[in-house]
Amino acid sequence: MMDLQTKLREEAKRLLEEKKVDVVIGYEDGSMALRTTPCFVKDPRDVERLVWNALCENNLAKYLIGRTNKAAVIAKGCDVRSIVVLINEKQLEKENIIIIGMPCAGIIDRKKIYAYLGGADVKQANIENGIINVKGDGFEEKLNVHDFLHDSCLACRYRNPVFCDILVGEEIPEVEPKDEYGKIDQLEEKSSKERWQYFSKELSKCVRCYACRQACPLCYCKTCFVDQSFPTWFGKSTDISDTFSFHLVRALHMTGRCVDCGACVRACPNNIDLRMLTKKIEKDIKELFDSEAGLSIGENTPLASFSEDDPQDFIG
Amino acid sequence: MKIHLWLLFLKMTLKILLGELMKTIKKDKIAKLLDFLADKYELFAPTSKDGLVVSFERIEEGKQAKLRFYNSNEAPKKLFFPQSETLFSYSKGGRETVPEPKTEQQRIIFGLKPCDTKSLSLLDKVFDTTDFKDPYYTQKRGNTIIFTLACNRPQSSCFCTALGLGPFLKEGADVFVVDLDDKYLFEPITQTGEDLLKEIPGLEEAAEKDISYAKELAGGAEAKITTKIQLDSLKEKLDEIFNESVWDEIHQKCLGCGVCTYLCPTCHCFDIVDEQVNDKGKRIRIWDSCMYPAFTLEASGHNPKPTGKERMRQRIMHKFNYFVETYDEIACVGCGRCLRNCPACMDITKVIEQINNLK
Amino acid sequence: MKNPYLPIPVRLNKVTLENEAKDLKTFDLAFVNPQDAKAFKFVAGQFAMISINGIGEAPFGIASSPMNGGVLQFTVKRYPRGVLTTALHNLSVSQVLGLRGPFGNGYPVKELESKNILVVGGGFALTTLRSLANYVLHKKNRAKFGKLTMFVAARNPGEMLYKEDLEEWSKRGDIEVIQTIDNPVEGWKGKVGYAAPVLKELAPCPENTYAVVCGPAIMIKTCLFVLFELGFPPERIVTSMEMKMKCGIGKCGRCNIGSKYVCMDGPVFTHKQLQELSGEY
Repeated sequence: MMDLQTKLREEAKRLLEEKKVDVVIGYEDGSMALRTTPCFVKDPRDVERLVWNALCENNLAKYLIGRTNKAAVIAKGCDVRSIVVLINEKQLEKENIIIIGMPCAGIIDRKKIYAYLGGADVKQANIENGIINVKGDGFEEKLNVHDFLHDSCLACRYRNPVFCDILVGEEIPEVEPKDEYGKIDQLEEKSSKERWQYFSKELSKCVRCYACRQACPLCYCKTCFVDQSFPTWFGKSTDISDTFSFHLVRALHMTGRCVDCGACVRACPNNIDLRMLTKKIEKDIKELFDSEAGLSIGENTPLASFSEDDPQDFIG
Repeated sequence: MKIHLWLLFLKMTLKILLGELMKTIKKDKIAKLLDFLADKYELFAPTSKDGLVVSFERIEEGKQAKLRFYNSNEAPKKLFFPQSETLFSYSKGGRETVPEPKTEQQRIIFGLKPCDTKSLSLLDKVFDTTDFKDPYYTQKRGNTIIFTLACNRPQSSCFCTALGLGPFLKEGADVFVVDLDDKYLFEPITQTGEDLLKEIPGLEEAAEKDISYAKELAGGAEAKITTKIQLDSLKEKLDEIFNESVWDEIHQKCLGCGVCTYLCPTCHCFDIVDEQVNDKGKRIRIWDSCMYPAFTLEASGHNPKPTGKERMRQRIMHKFNYFVETYDEIACVGCGRCLRNCPACMDITKVIEQINNLK
Repeated sequence: MKNPYLPIPVRLNKVTLENEAKDLKTFDLAFVNPQDAKAFKFVAGQFAMISINGIGEAPFGIASSPMNGGVLQFTVKRYPRGVLTTALHNLSVSQVLGLRGPFGNGYPVKELESKNILVVGGGFALTTLRSLANYVLHKKNRAKFGKLTMFVAARNPGEMLYKEDLEEWSKRGDIEVIQTIDNPVEGWKGKVGYAAPVLKELAPCPENTYAVVCGPAIMIKTCLFVLFELGFPPERIVTSMEMKMKCGIGKCGRCNIGSKYVCMDGPVFTHKQLQELSGEY
């Protein structure tokens, strides 16, 4: 039984040899332990660079936007959904993309491993059969991959691609998320004042680098609202009210579109818990509209579509 | 005047060679030492709220300092060149200036790593020029005493030695501090450092074995850094390849997120904006990044650096070519923050390697 | 120590509409404080950062001659996307603005002494060239320089900048003025044709002559070609560059061409210097 990585390389090679695509966008080993990095394979002889493991965290859908050539992209469950949203929002031409779907049981959050190791510097790491072996100066530990997954993976309902052109391997069983809205529920319990304090504390760490926006595949506006000068909507300094406004408005812009891939949180250099805003909105949309983003081609976010049956009892 | 300085230098070097000036203090007394400094100065030290992420903050008590750490997440440049800084304020019909930035109190930064200390001397070249001194930066620089903490344990992402610097580099420090396991060694580097050490109570004379142990630690630390960069003809290579297609390849996974520039201790690009509420406002300076599309966007719509390719090229050229051309120094200190924090795991050392390997 | 980020107050004395399209205006700014007026000395080709509190700040070339103290002139084109230029165009006389400067290196007037000067200006890039021309023409300076030729191109007569200056210069014997417009217009007495072919026809002599060229990118490019063909060496072709600027003093990092900052090492560069900078321009 061929492992997924080998299968993936075979598919990539075939696509390039048959000239079905100009480039395969995937992952390769990063230059540091516990990292992979996006890679762009154009030559079928280079497919050996491609890897598939529990460190493949980037949402590669970002690299499809504005592309002029044909590309195959390796996409996990969440990544596929963001591609579906992009197609539904007419940002991508489906005929120029081949989605190589990867069933995904979760991606490792290396910051959780660092925390577990007390901040130790991991110099080497390799994964085999669900165990990750980490080594550094004076320590070596075997850790269970499933104990160190990203929070967004713990909340995941769509581990299999909802849509793809090529499925690598077999679908894995969908499971009830380990922790879908736990923290959101906790925050909802708190008083308004406590919530304000929580978010003020988190957002005061923000240095307005916009990495969250850049990493998000669904942030594709040519001019982001925060960069507009005519009119200037919000100030650009780290003044807390301006920072608050940026994050709240960005979360609102994500309404009904965010697939909780976690790219924003991973990109943030100051570990701000951005998912608290986006996940809350996702919960509200599910409850109010019984809708989740990116599940099928042709559907649109509830805020960008209407039906005759929409509730109207609140209209006077 | 020059001879006087030379004699002073010789005197100090001799004293240092004879170990006369070096002091030590037992580790369990360091918190008290920091208390003493915090009393007389605004003291900044590495702190951590969760025990993992370290950041340089003002401390009132010595026990708040976390002195065993790899490096702070954010570069300490924010203590001299903050993310947002008011240049002046105004009101309708006129302008009240925030005059020369209010005289800052004397500050001490304790525990700056040698790479970050070096980065300050690189920033000096930009902000402290003969024609135009940036008063906001230079005031803070002039009022700050630096205790550089040697780096006994460089991280796997560190590469200071590849740039000709090192984990025990003393350049830019007023006092150089080494962690000798059970005690700290203090070596005065400047006259300011020497004078300050004289004021601190409870310091002991450094023993010969302390000094030699420090040397041993230096060797050990340097050996830990294995990343090498070929620097010899890098600038010339970069001159040649400006228009080559290699830049298309280099930039393709970059998200243009700007984290590298925000965390980089030598990046200094900024924007100036006016922010106003009703009729009171201020002109502020905020961090900006050459990686952002609007950085060079002109009102006419023309953008000399229209895509990520030009902007990535600008970043690499600025650090390893333009800065070298103007100041004969590379604008990188090998701290590794860009490597560790890049969401796409861009590795500047690998980019340089790729460039060096071009035919 | 002077704080280079603090603007000095200037009052808007006069607004002159320069063209038919109504997007070019010349602003006369007078120093509010007499000591600022006294201290402000500049060289033709330098620029200043003009600001309106609450709106923003941008660089503008000084269009008035360095020999006229006290009042500075700036010609500003309004861009629909330009926050500051739009606000400037909406200003009324007597409002107070902020000014920082003079910045930049200016034209190499010392080097130009005893040389002939061929000025090639297109569109609204004529601003600092006007400063240079009036500087050279001043009675204290004229004898130091050789022949002065002003070659000015515009789309049509309505778009010609500084019509009064051009008319006055045309009457003088110590400067030759040649104007050209793109297409023939009834009543037009000057040349007709794009800048480059008309310049080629005029075939100015390169001997002991500096060419100072400013204008839209396409005009500079085509005229450069003509000048090279005529034998002008790159070290005697001078141009003034434009870039987005914020600090004006070489610190904010955005206006560089290669290792040079346009605000400090420029905005005036010889073509030889531009060729040596990385292939960026």
